[in-house]
Amino acid sequence: MNSVGEGCTELKREYDQCFNRWFAEKFLKGDRSGDPCTEMFKKYQLCVQKAIKDKDIPIDGVEFMGPNKEKPES
Amino acid sequence: MCAFLHHVIGTPNVERETTVQRYPWETVIKAAMRKYPNPMNPSVVGVDVLDRNLDTHGRLHSHRLLSTEWGLPGIVRAILGTNRTLTYIKEHSIVDPDEKKMELCSTNITLTNLVSVDERLVYRPHPENPDVTVLTQEAIITVKGVSLSSYLEGLMALTMSANARKGWDAIEWIIQNSEREKVPLCDLC
Repeated sequence: MNSVGEGCTELKREYDQCFNRWFAEKFLKGDRSGDPCTEMFKKYQLCVQKAIKDKDIPIDGVEFMGPNKEKPES
Repeated sequence: MCAFLHHVIGTPNVERETTVQRYPWETVIKAAMRKYPNPMNPSVVGVDVLDRNLDTHGRLHSHRLLSTEWGLPGIVRAILGTNRTLTYIKEHSIVDPDEKKMELCSTNITLTNLVSVDERLVYRPHPENPDVTVLTQEAIITVKGVSLSSYLEGLMALTMSANARKGWDAIEWIIQNSEREKVPLCDLC
């Protein structure tokens, strides 16, 4: 699957592989140890955010919906 | 829960559909996180994660951007007054591994002056059978601020059924084809 930014696809694929592995083998099994993908994600993000700006895609900002981290949820 | 037009939940214009699939919840969720590309959704041409974080309850939030190419003919684009060939959708998903619930909410962020397509999907294990997963889908299409009239509800219901089936077909395809990414979806693989 491609990224929205053509130049970001390789970074996206590396991140996706890392995330999918962590998600299946750690997160869903209740392992809350650290996320090994943060560095990869940062690199990928730098690329994507630039592509979004360049293509003028109307994102409001990263926190565009949903509860924030601090809000207590029922 | 993810933000899905809270004010319209429970109203008759929301199309709701519940379907089941004979895979355990974890298998379905792993496939759902990797849903694209798949042959049932050829118009989705790009997917990006814009943010991902764990909340204080250990739930995983993901914010994604989907780009879709409908192949609109030039004349349709001229009528719509757009040079864009791609439409964009933002999606928020929440995975609760303790409660075993995955929710996705999506809405279009382009062509919003013409139409809003809002969808919410919830995947949960079947209460009586852990090898089965239940999907509840809700969708509302709003044209220029006015909900589709009841005359069109029947048409929407037909479309929803077709889409609900297609959604499961896509998940099943991902489960069956998981080997290609060398990340097995099932523990026995």
